[in-house]
Formats: sequence, structure tokens, C-alpha cells
Amino acid sequence: MEGHFTPLQIDFNKNKNLVNRFSVKWTPTVIILEVDGTEHHRFIGFLPPDDFIGQIMLGRAKSEFDLDHYGQAIQCFQEVLVRYPKTDAAPEAQYFLGVARYKASHDAKELKYGLEALQRDYPMSEWTKKAQVYGLTP
Amino acid sequence: MAEAIQWETSLTTAKARAKKEKKLILMDFYNDL
Repeated sequence: MEGHFTPLQIDFNKNKNLVNRFSVKWTPTVIILEVDGTEHHRFIGFLPPDDFIGQIMLGRAKSEFDLDHYGQAIQCFQEVLVRYPKTDAAPEAQYFLGVARYKASHDAKELKYGLEALQRDYPMSEWTKKAQVYGLTP
Repeated sequence: MAEAIQWETSLTTAKARAKKEKKLILMDFYNDL
């Protein structure tokens, strides 16, 4: 984890300024931040180890995506899918993998391929519902 | 044996360390019930 992150623990009851600044209402809340304070990803609640690490890796991938580093983002989303395919982070990673590939190539077929992968591997996911519209692309 | 995680407890310090090491910040809000 420390390879890519500086870990910071904040006591919810003793840091009301930060609690309010980041609109934290419940614990645990984990937020992935840029040094300038830009938020890339957050999740709430206790997770089993694989799900926790999957979310952390998803946060890293989304940070690359947010910075328009699509090549890096694609690698990171793929890493989530390969290492943690059974976690809830995986369908979200699959969704954004399709989007990152589209943004990198400007080829709308990448969105359709992303939907097909979601329908095959995660048919019940909300991310599959969110990608349904991409099935209309020619 | 795995090394213990070096948690920061101040956002200011975490930002300085993250900037120096070119890393993201993983901020964990916890509550000792």
C-alpha cells in the first residue's frame, strides 16, 4: 500500500474541521486524495481485505483517469480486474476501463466492448446498467 | 515479516510527505467507539 500512498489516519471525534471539510458522516470513511486536496475516490464501511485492497487500487486507477493519464489508468484498471475480479471494485474498474480506452482511442467501439465484458462477467452490477446505453453505439 | 505501516496523523504532514515521495494520500477517518 505504501508503494503508492501516504497513509493518514484521522480521528473522527477530534478533527471536526477535516470531518466537515470532507463531508464525512460515518466511519470508517477512506478517501484517496491528490496532494493538492483533489478527491479521486472514497468508500465507507469495513471491508474484507481483498475488497479493501481492490477499492484502494481502484482509487489509484481513478486518480490516473482524472489526470487524463489514460495509458496508466488502463493498466491500473486491468490490475484490479486481474487481481481482485470477485470484489465490488471489479465491475467499476471494468466500466472505467472501457471509458479510458475510448478516451485514449476516440473509438466508440471501446465503450461497446466494455459493456460486453460487463454483461459477460458482472451481469447483475449497477455498472452494467450504467453502460447499457453503449450497446446502441454502431 | 511485514513492516508496520507508518500512519501520519496530520494532513499537513501527510501532504508534505506525499509531495516529496510523489504519492497519493490515503486518508482514513476512524472512530474509537
